Amino acid sequence: MQSLILILLSLVTASSCAGEINARQLVKDAMNHWRGRTSSTVITMTIHRPDWERSMTLQAWSKGAKLSLVRVIEPKKDAGNGTLLNDNNMWTYSPKINRIIKVPSSMMQQNWMGSDFSNKDIAKSTDLIDQYEHKLTGQRESQGHIFYTVTSIPHEEAPVVWGKEVITIRDDFVLMEQQFWDQDNVLVKSMKTLKVEEMGGRAVASVMRMGKLETPDEWTEIATRSIEFDLELPANIFTLSNLRNPRR
Amino acid sequence: MKSLPVSAMLRLAWRNLWRNYRRTVVMLLAIAVGVWAMIFMSALMRGMVDEMVTNGIDSLPGYVQIHQLGFRDDPSINNSLQPPGPELLGALENPLVAGWTSRVRVPAMISSERDNRGVTLLGVDPAGEIAVGFDLDNIVAGRFIGSPQDKGLVVGRKLLERLETHLGKRVVVMSQDPDNNIADRGFRIVGVYKASLEGQEENFVYSGRSHVQSLLKMGRQVSEIAITGHDYRAVDELLEIIRAASPPGSEVLPWMELESYLYGMMGMMDGFILVWTIVVFLALSFGLINTLMMAVFERVREIGLMQALGMKPSSILYLILMESLLLLLLGLLAGNILAIASILPLREGIDLSGVARGMEMFGAGSTLYPVLDLHDLATANTVVIVLGLVTSLLPAWHASRYSPVEAITKI
Repeated sequence: MQSLILILLSLVTASSCAGEINARQLVKDAMNHWRGRTSSTVITMTIHRPDWERSMTLQAWSKGAKLSLVRVIEPKKDAGNGTLLNDNNMWTYSPKINRIIKVPSSMMQQNWMGSDFSNKDIAKSTDLIDQYEHKLTGQRESQGHIFYTVTSIPHEEAPVVWGKEVITIRDDFVLMEQQFWDQDNVLVKSMKTLKVEEMGGRAVASVMRMGKLETPDEWTEIATRSIEFDLELPANIFTLSNLRNPRR
Repeated sequence: MKSLPVSAMLRLAWRNLWRNYRRTVVMLLAIAVGVWAMIFMSALMRGMVDEMVTNGIDSLPGYVQIHQLGFRDDPSINNSLQPPGPELLGALENPLVAGWTSRVRVPAMISSERDNRGVTLLGVDPAGEIAVGFDLDNIVAGRFIGSPQDKGLVVGRKLLERLETHLGKRVVVMSQDPDNNIADRGFRIVGVYKASLEGQEENFVYSGRSHVQSLLKMGRQVSEIAITGHDYRAVDELLEIIRAASPPGSEVLPWMELESYLYGMMGMMDGFILVWTIVVFLALSFGLINTLMMAVFERVREIGLMQALGMKPSSILYLILMESLLLLLLGLLAGNILAIASILPLREGIDLSGVARGMEMFGAGSTLYPVLDLHDLATANTVVIVLGLVTSLLPAWHASRYSPVEAITKI
């Protein structure tokens, strides 16, 4: 009898704060699902503009939430260009000039490798968890999955320009859509998952497209070619010397 | 032989002047228009330079500023100062100091949802900022920073437009802390100010000083200490007092050196006005010399007669000079009245919004306010009188050199 009351009690408390904890946990799980403990990915990034289009193939490694390294493999003329991220700091390396440049704050808003992602988008992707207030605002079922919609409102002093972000997460923690709304409640840009595939032992958003609503014919698509999760990465991979002289 | 009394000479000269009144009136018109052009043009140029200087001083309030040595070459967070110590605070009590403030001033990026721009972030103490000359009437919407701890952001009207955002919205300001790490934070726009120059509206954003110091992890350090005096033209004494009390490793400079371009412009304008006055006078002097020459040639027989009757050559010289002086004085009177009459109605300013962009390029606003400077007025009048008399020496000397017999018999 006592145990039954205990279970009931815990159920009540769980459901009463479920809204907030769940939403935040959901976003966190989605991030963890996306990055894994460590990951090694090969992606193709396609930058599309009305009058031209170009693709490049990138190799990326990540460890935890703070460390990432991205290196261009193709096309040949860009091969070797790299970006190293350590928390909010960002360095780029170009073999043509044989220099490592620390990206200054003034350049954080510029495009990353000419894509629709800004340097800040790349460097700050995990800030989503801590800098926002998350709320579960919707949930629907389709194709045998449940899709949760989380509305995330940035804290007053968070370095975020958006009024809110609306994130759609599938019940297996695949990030389906991330919308960026301005402070007048107008949708400015969004990143949509176009295809989900089983890769590296889990469901992965294998094709994602980022674009602004005002310019529908300009977008950047990221297609995952291969991905491995939770592999052992050598400690020296996320260092400036490795950025300059690849050992792997 | 006695020379004529001055009053008689004056009467003679006055009558001679109006014997051929048409010629005199034409000459008077020429002098009047010339003088008008000198004064009016200098008033316009003066107005332009004054505005440039005021704008320049407004954009960096403080006639004297203290910076860390090296700040002017690299205005980064690493070149910052300790807040004023007791010695400097003592010097700032001096009655020559009209107001002072210390501020943080760093380059930063500001971004909204739609755009981002480079700006200068000013962390200010509102009380001090108002003391050194920030005019609260320039706040066109919202409010100014309320205290050094204020977390709000006050931006220029033009910047708001560029960022496509509004009062009450949040923007992100990004800069670098002393370790070169990115320091960024969301700020809510609490006020909008206007300035006479768009460039200024786009460049400066204000927030509370302590708030900015905590964002940039700079402790109580500041970037500059700005001090205003009572007259921007005379800052030497103020400069000496501040310089004596400022901490080692700092650099105390007057606005003349901080904005040397402006100061140079001011000096150049003085020279330019003098050159302009002389050029106009040169054109004028040919008319003057011709008129007097004709007046002398016409009266050769008369002059001969006067000499024969006992008038000394020097008196004739004086007579002609006096005629010239009367002509010049009348012309100057008319010219000055004309100039003042045409400048006074323009006091409210001349609207130049059609060429506002060009004006903006050299730091002047779109309204030109002519400035009637007594100094310029005196320059124009002195130049005309002195050089006018020098010019008329030639015909006058000519007239006094006639031999009476030759002159009388000349046909």
